[in-house]
Amino acid sequence: MTTAIHLFDLVSRHNRWLSVRQSTIASNIANANTPGYKAVDVEPFEKVLETTSLSMQATQPGHIADPTGRTADVNVRDSEPWEVSHSGNSVSLEQELMNAGEVNRSYRLNTSVAKAFHRMLLASAKV
Amino acid sequence: MQDPLSSALRIGASGLEAQSKRMRVVTENLANAQSTGKTPGADPYTRKVVTFENELDEASGTSLVKVGSVERHSSPFRIEHNPSHPAADKDGNVKLPNVDIMTEVADMREANRSYEANLQAIKQARDMIAMTIDMLRSG
Repeated sequence: MTTAIHLFDLVSRHNRWLSVRQSTIASNIANANTPGYKAVDVEPFEKVLETTSLSMQATQPGHIADPTGRTADVNVRDSEPWEVSHSGNSVSLEQELMNAGEVNRSYRLNTSVAKAFHRMLLASAKV
Repeated sequence: MQDPLSSALRIGASGLEAQSKRMRVVTENLANAQSTGKTPGADPYTRKVVTFENELDEASGTSLVKVGSVERHSSPFRIEHNPSHPAADKDGNVKLPNVDIMTEVADMREANRSYEANLQAIKQARDMIAMTIDMLRSG
């Protein structure tokens, strides 16, 4: 039971990460002709998972906050561009569309897995 | 922070709008490729170019795109010798617009390609939303 719930948590976190990635891809594509625009990408999911697993809860006003300043947000970094055009723009449409395809596939996989486990849980509840 | 998928849709829409404005300017240039002045020595139509700007959306912290301004291109006009033309100067030369059809067609192609890429990004974001909703249907 606990593993199943952990799985749902993982699925929703990965999906949130994928949505953030999709929105960075969308802004890269929209700015594909903006001079001087630098393409961005999100941090790999493994890194996000590592840094967001533990966070300190402040239940009293006197409690100190997490001194390392870790947040649950996904950080954005510059991507490694395939090409930089003369105008200083580092967006490659092919690269972005490939990333978008990858995001879409992972998202589909996640939702399908979650669906299958959900069906399993429901099946056990029906008996 | 706002839902990233709906901000992806908004960013894509801003890209579509910017590219269609660019397309409009390209067709203006093409339509006016032969528009000369009326009075002797008058300047003809001047080629226009769009500039794109990156605009930070405060609500979601993402970067949208917008058309910054439509500028006039500063390349020299083409000169043609045609003394009977109403816009001919005293030497019989007529100034024709600085529009090069090939450049405009190439620009149109690029606008087309970028528009398509934006559409693709919107489609994928919509697919992802649809997949999330589909999870409800499994039960």
